[in-house]
Order: sequence, then structure tokens, then C-alpha cells
Amino acid sequence: MRTDKIRNFCIIAHIDHGKSTLADRLLQMTGTISDREMTEQVLDSMDLEREKGVTIKASAVRMLYSAKDGESYELNLIDTPGHVDFNYEVSRALEACEGAVLVVDATQGIEAQTLANLYLAIDSNLTVLPVINKIDLPSARPDEVADEVGSLLGFPPEEILRISAKEGINIDQVLEAVVRHIPPPRGDENEPLTALIFDSHYDPYKGVVAYIRVMQGSIRAADTLRLMAAQTDVKPVEIGIFSPNMKPTERLTVGDVGYVATGLKTVQECRVGDTFTSAATPAKAPLPGYRHPKPMVFAGIYPVENDDYSDLKDALEKLQLNDASLVFVPEKSQALNFGFRCGFLGLFHMEIIQERLEREYDLDIIVTAPSVEYEVVTLDGAVSRIDSPAQLPDEAIIQEIREPWMNLQIFTPTEFYGTVMDLVTKRRGSYKSQEYPAPNRVQLNFEIPLSELIVDFFDDLKSRTKGYASMDYSFLEYRPGNLVRLEIMVGGEPVDALTAIVHKEDAYHKGQRLVTKLKDIIPRQQFDVAVQAASGGRIISRANVRAMRKDVLAKCYGGDITRKKKLLEKQKKGKRRMKMVGSVEIPQEAFMAVLRLEED
Amino acid sequence: MEPVAVYLHIPFCQTRCGYCDFNTYAGVQQFIPAYVDALCREIEQVAAAAPAPLAGKTVFFGGGTPSLLSSPQISQILRCLSSNLDLSGCAEISLEANPGTVDEERLAGFLEAGVNRLSLGMQSANPAELSILDRQHQPGDVQAAVAAARNAGFANISLDLIYGIPGQDMDSWLKTLRAALELLPEHLSLYCLTVEEGTPLEEQIKNGSVQKPDDDLAADLFTAALELLNQDGFERYEISNFAAKRGGLLMTCAHNLTYWRNQPYLGFGAGAHGCADKVRTANVKPIPAYLSAVTSGKAKVFPAGPAAENIHCQSDWEIIEETMMLGLRLTGEGISARGFQTRFGRSIESLFPRQIQHLTARGLVEWDGETLRLSQQGSMLGNQVFLEFVGNRPPPDFQ
Ligand SMILES: Nc1nc2c(ncn2[C@@H]2O[C@H](COP(=O)(O)OP(=O)(O)OP(=O)(O)O)[C@@H](O)[C@H]2O)c(=O)[nH]1
Ligand code: SF4
Ligand SMILES: [Mg+2]
Repeated sequence: MRTDKIRNFCIIAHIDHGKSTLADRLLQMTGTISDREMTEQVLDSMDLEREKGVTIKASAVRMLYSAKDGESYELNLIDTPGHVDFNYEVSRALEACEGAVLVVDATQGIEAQTLANLYLAIDSNLTVLPVINKIDLPSARPDEVADEVGSLLGFPPEEILRISAKEGINIDQVLEAVVRHIPPPRGDENEPLTALIFDSHYDPYKGVVAYIRVMQGSIRAADTLRLMAAQTDVKPVEIGIFSPNMKPTERLTVGDVGYVATGLKTVQECRVGDTFTSAATPAKAPLPGYRHPKPMVFAGIYPVENDDYSDLKDALEKLQLNDASLVFVPEKSQALNFGFRCGFLGLFHMEIIQERLEREYDLDIIVTAPSVEYEVVTLDGAVSRIDSPAQLPDEAIIQEIREPWMNLQIFTPTEFYGTVMDLVTKRRGSYKSQEYPAPNRVQLNFEIPLSELIVDFFDDLKSRTKGYASMDYSFLEYRPGNLVRLEIMVGGEPVDALTAIVHKEDAYHKGQRLVTKLKDIIPRQQFDVAVQAASGGRIISRANVRAMRKDVLAKCYGGDITRKKKLLEKQKKGKRRMKMVGSVEIPQEAFMAVLRLEED
Repeated sequence: MEPVAVYLHIPFCQTRCGYCDFNTYAGVQQFIPAYVDALCREIEQVAAAAPAPLAGKTVFFGGGTPSLLSSPQISQILRCLSSNLDLSGCAEISLEANPGTVDEERLAGFLEAGVNRLSLGMQSANPAELSILDRQHQPGDVQAAVAAARNAGFANISLDLIYGIPGQDMDSWLKTLRAALELLPEHLSLYCLTVEEGTPLEEQIKNGSVQKPDDDLAADLFTAALELLNQDGFERYEISNFAAKRGGLLMTCAHNLTYWRNQPYLGFGAGAHGCADKVRTANVKPIPAYLSAVTSGKAKVFPAGPAAENIHCQSDWEIIEETMMLGLRLTGEGISARGFQTRFGRSIESLFPRQIQHLTARGLVEWDGETLRLSQQGSMLGNQVFLEFVGNRPPPDFQ
């Protein structure tokens, strides 16, 4: 295929505006997937994606399209996730494309990630093709939304496509517009090869499969390739395209999107952002690549049974092969023994990893409360970073604790102005400025500590604004805070994994709430268990979990042993989510209790 | 084949008690004759399908309320049993009876038919508690029933008592215990009231019309009972069961011991459970379904009868786990290391090293290398022990 017959584009949008559904229609219309093979959001192939109805991982697919001009085109589409946590997936996908289809929900209008992803696309010099989706819905207001989008992009509102991905309305126009408005890739087939790795996944048979976009030159299946950053040479197991499943080809040429199955066993050897070149005639310089995403929240993950440590390690390594943004290092906790300190892009990312460990790897794990990364200045002037409250040095030698602050943009209908202000102020945020990007819409700009953002902030915002507000945030700076350690003792022993860093004014109140909650969460044991909270060397609160006196099924009725056994198995299952700390069994919820002390 | 215990389920009651979730039905006593016929047919079919002649070592009429059957009906069933199974070695034939449903004549008829052990549902000596439980009898009915049974010639009587009844206090419980002891029973079962899912009692507790039983009080009540029964010469041989001595002999329930020792038993009747030849079976529960299954169906592979709806083949590992879970209920004899080794060809320590170590460290079991049994505290917290023995994967060297 000649380069001028290739179009590389991604679909970007705010979460749930219908990217994956639009991808479905495009795949159908181009005959890439037959009606028989079609399922809803077919590119969301992971179990969790299907269950949650959310795209977690970007996916690429090649389509062949016969346009109205009588020519045949190769369209490479990348569907991207909309959730804030997976922003970096979008920015990577953009580097592999010349254009982006920006989907905007006709009932919701512009939202925070509409803007965030649009700006990313503009930064990457992509041609943006706006489409307004869900026009089939009675509450759709396509004209208004077209005005909003039009003024944002400087695009005549009447030229913006209005579609329904679900009902398949005007999908042909999207394909035509892609062919007409999105430029073909530039580049020269005769130059030395440069191919950008924009994603990867791990295949047990083929090793790390790198998703690539060929920028210059071409690849043949038999070529020996060089990873320019890693400085390793690879003889590919196979090369190919996604259609949408992996389909081997003999050749990938300039402008193409496809994959290289490397046979490599670890991601370190084949990093997303690296450049493939030819070992025989290498290019002079690699492509710019990406900044590696920085984890925002950190939590400990521990096996319930110490024996499962190496299984957990294996599982994390495997997950990392498909998700380079997951970072982890071994960690030892006095209470929980050996485990891993893991870094995540956000709380949603953390939940996904937790669920995948439990479901795909059948592991019983304990996850500690997520924390941000603090900067601690000790009296000797040394500055260290800690991502776990347990690592906080002795208070006597601390000069200052600094916490990360974020720029926060909240996008909301003007009627919720007051309640949004109230929410942010309650969480120690401060107002900076406002903009009115569309009629009846306000963008409020704040600064807020990240620790206030990670827990339920988004849920709170959604419920206060009937689902209409959306948000985006980015790192601002570290600022000193009046922070102290809140320590928890169970059965007289300090439990490092329950330690929290809290604002000094909240310490007393939070300590009391936490103890009350823990008293209810920790099940009765064989003996009385004291639960205490301490801060600044003072016990703030104390409660007692009384000993369990009786726990036995009385009757074995008429030889019905099965039923009895089922009851025991159920009881045992409950224990699978508890960790022995000293001689006390502590359930998973206890480690999360510190997060939600405001409620009820 | 080794002799089996035989369980016969009689799913009829006069009225339904609010706490009861057994497979039993009130107001359908007109089905009793047909049901008795069906039981006999089921027995015949299972015996005919057995790979070898069967022998019974105990028989137990459970319910429901078996004492709603007439003595000719009991006799019909027992005759059918003895013509299909060898009962020559059968030393114990028990029947559950509710006070108020039996008089001397009926009891004499049961005895005549072969029943030699009577288990009476006394439950409580406090009328208010009996009424909370929806029981139909009065405290006085128990005395009358025991007297009638003794007159009729029963030398082996067991009383069931319930503790942890809403509103019950220590005083009332001790009165119930003393009232029971005055009747000089050979055997006592003390059951803690459990609020079962879907029962009217559960509903009453949810809507607040009945007070939720308190676990700690139940523990106190049971501890007091242990002491009292011990003083009175009763020996606790299972978590909830106590036997008196008669002529130097401990009057345990041989039938129930079969379950706890994980030995074979056959179950006949609606919803009855059986376990033999490494197969667990359970019959359909509703009476009409049972009747039609038995009349039209055929026995499946032994021990599953025509009405079996659940047939589960046990793996060797399952049998071992169940042997532990059940055997540990026997607070007296526990699990014998030698018996276990003989039966399974493996030692307990080699299969459950971690569990034994954990549980002895927690003081819940006692292990001297010969016997594994619950400690005093373990007998109150039995589930904590049993659950260590269920749902484990077999060790890698287990074939
Ligand atoms: N009525 C209607 N519903 C639509 C349309 N397009 C998508 N939806 C629905 O909107 C929801 C979200 O659609 P997705 O395609 O999963 O959205 P997405 O943008 O891929 O979401 P993320 O990947 O999670 O960011 C689904 O329930 C779709 O069925 C449409 O044109 N009309
Ligand atoms: S008499 Fe026994 S079996 Fe019948 S309903 Fe009452 S408790 Fe249940
Ligand atoms: Mg999607």
C-alpha cells in the first residue's frame, strides 16, 4: 500500500463518551469483523474491561476501507481509555498517529478529559476530527454541543459530524472524513528504519509483543532488529498487524502500525517508548520516545500466606509485562512480613491491579491504604522521599514534612459552582481562577493536596453534581504541611501497616474514629484484643475487641454433612482475606479503614 | 460389606416451629400411609441394588416427628428393613418423639415393634420459652411422656434441650437442666439455638419482635451446663452430647457415633442423606416429589436410591478431611492416630502438620502422638478447629 493511502488515527474522548462503541461500528463497516463475531466493545478484550464496561488498555487494529473516491485505504485505528488514570496510554497512542477522532457525548457535552485529551492531541500536532455521539438519545443536544466544540476548536459547528455509534447512524461519514481530513503519514521507505514502540503486551509463546508504528524505512520478518535505548538486538519471532487479532505479515513499511513479537521475556529489555532500528543499517538517532509515567499513589501488597510471596512476585512481574506503568519494589513490614511496595497512576489503577491479582492469579492478598509520596526534611537538612507512612523517621528528628500538591481543574455546569467550591475547600484545596469555555459551563481551577484527591474525591464530586462534573489534575509542587504520624497498636504491638500520616488538627478526631472502626472490623479472637491510636507519643484512643467465647455448629442433622461443610468453607473463605499480625487476625478492610474516616 | 447405620426420615409435624429449617411439613399427615409404603419400596430397591447383602448396625427414625406414625406403621417399616437387611447385629433402634404426641399404649407399640431407644424433644421446662419456640407441648407433657415410656419398658431415653433461647436467662436454664436430670435420662443433647436463614424466627428478630440471642450468654449457659452435668455423672462425649452410665456402660448414641466416625450409613425418606462406598447421596426433599420418584423411579447405582437428587463421589482426600472435621467433634475419643493410619495408610501428622502445630499453639487441640482431640476451649470454638481441615489442597505426595 502506498503511504498516501494510509491513515493512522486514534479515538479519544472523555470516559464513556462512546469510543469503543464507535470502534465497533468502524470495524463492522469495514468488514474487519463479521457481524457474527461482533460483540459490544469488541476491542475491550480483558475480562475486567468487559465487566466494568471501561477501556483500560489501548488497542490497535488495522482496517481496509474502500472510500467513495474509489480508492482503497489502510486505516490504523487505536482505541484509547478515557479514565484519568490511563492518560499516559492516550499520549503514547497519539505519537503513533497523524489524526485523532475526538468523540463528544451529545448529552454531556465537553468534559474534563475531552479537554485534557484534546490538548494532548494538539501538542502532538495531530489533526483533530470532532464527532458528536449519542444523537439517538432523547436528551441529546447536538446543536448546543456542536457550538461548544466548534468554538473550542475553531471549527464550523455545522461541519461537525453527528453520529450514533450505538445505532450506527452516520458512521460512513466518519470513515470518509478520516480519509479526507487526516493527513497520510510522512516518511521515506528508503531511509534507515525507525519504528516507535507505543505499547506492548506479553504473550507466553511469543514473548513481549511490541506495538509499533513505522516512522521511516520498513521491516521484513527475517530482519534482525535493534532496540536503540536498550542496545539489544532481536530476531523477531514474527511481525504482523492487528486485524483485530494478531495476524503475521512478511513486511511492515513506513506509516504502518503493527507488532513485532520479540521473544523477549522481560519488559526491561523492550520498553515502551524505545525505537526499533535495523541492526544492519541502523538509524543515527532514536525517536524522542516518552516520559515514563510517574506513579501517584503507593500501597503495599502482601500475600495473606507468607508462602505465597514468590507467586505474588511472579504475578506482579507478569502484570508489568502488560502494564509498564505498574512499578514495585520488595518491602518488609513488621506486621505483614514480606511483600511489595507498588506505585500506581491512581486509585482506579490500583483497584484494577488488585482485582487482576486476585482473579487472574488466584492470590489471596492484603493491600494497605494508598499513600502519596512525601518529602521529609530531617534536622540535619537531608531530604528524603517516602511513599509509605511506615517509613516516616522518628518525629524527634523531623524538621518538616512536605506533601505533593496538584493543579486541579473541575469542569461543571454553573449551577453546581457552590457545591464544588465547598467540596474542594473541605479537602484543604484553594481556589485559583475560573474560565467559561462554553455557555453554562465553568472550569474552576484549584490547588489541592494529592492526598485529598486520591480517596473518593471523584465519587464525591460526581454525586454532588448529579454526575455532570468532571475533573483533571496534574502535579504542581511539594509544599510543607502540618503533618503528623498516627500510629495504631493492636494487642499492644504497633502495626506499621496501619500507620497513617494525617493533618495535625485531624489527628485526635481521626484517631478516635479509626479505633472505633477497627473495633468493629477486627473479628473477635480467642482472647481480648486492645486497639489503640497514638500520635506524638500520646495515646489518643483505646477500645477493646472482646474475646470470642463460642463458635461451634451444634447439630449435625440427619447425617447432612455437606451442609455443615459448606458453612465451614464459607467461614474459611472469610479468613482468606485476613492476615495474621502477631497472634491477631486482621481483615483487609482494616487496612483501608483509615481512608474513610469522615463518613457516616 | 461392613454393617451400616440406617436413617429413616419422617417429614411430618403437627405444626411448624418458628426456628426450624428441617425438611418437614405440617398439615399433610394424610400422606403418611403412602409415605410409609414408599419408604419400604425405597429400602427394597436400594437393598436389591447393593453389590452384597446389607447388614444394619443401628436404625434411627428422625424427623420431623416420627412419633406421629402409628406403631403398626413403625412395625411395617422395621419388618421391611429386617427382610432386606441383616439386623441380627443391630443393637440400637432409636425414634424421635415429641412430648404430647405419645401415650403409653403407642410407646408400648413402638417397643413391641423393635424400637429400644427414645429421643424426646423436651427443649425447655419454661412455658414462655416453649411458646417462643412454637413448641406444642407443655412442660408437664415431658414428665408424662417419660413416665409413660418407662412404664412401657423403655430403658434408654434421651432428652433434647435448647439453650440460647431469646429471653432465657441462667436461672431458667438451670431449672430446665434440673428438670431434665430429675427424669433420669440415659442421654442428653444440648443444642444452641441457631437462627437459620429464611425461618420465621429470623424474620421476628429482624423486625425486632423477638430479641436476638446473645452469644456470650449462650457460652455462659453452656459452661454452666457442663459443670452441672458433670456433677450429675454425665460424660460429654461429643460437642453437644452427654451420656450417663448404666451398669458401667456409657449410654452413647451408637447411630450418631457412626456419622462422627465417618462410617457408612444409608438414608431413606424425603431429603434423607446417606454415605457409603465413597458416595454421598441426598434424596429429593418435597414429599410429593419423593413419593413419585420412589413409585416410578428405579434405584441408581448403590447407595443412591430412586429418589436421590444429589450423588457425590468422594475423593480420598475429601474423605480424610471429613473424617477430621467429624471425628474432632468427639470430645472424648477424638481421632486415634493408629485408627487413622490403619484406615488411610498415612499418619495424621504427615497430612496435617501445619494445622496440628497451629492449633496446639493456640490451645484449641490436644495432641499426644496417639490421639488428637479438642481442648476444653477448642470444644467451645470447634469451628475454628474444623475449618482448618476443610477446603485444603492435598499435599503433593498424596496420590
Ligand atoms: N444511546 C447511545 N449509547 C451509546 C452510544 N455510543 C456509546 N453508547 C453507550 O455508552 C456507554 C459507553 O460506551 P463505550 O463505547 O464503552 O465508551 P468509551 O468511551 O469507550 O468508554 P471508556 O473506554 O471507558 O472511556 C456504553 O453503555 C455504550 O453502549 C450511542 O451512540 N448512543
Ligand atoms: S417439631 Fe421438630 S421437626 Fe417439627 S417443626 Fe418443630 S422443630 Fe421442626
Ligand atoms: Mg472504551
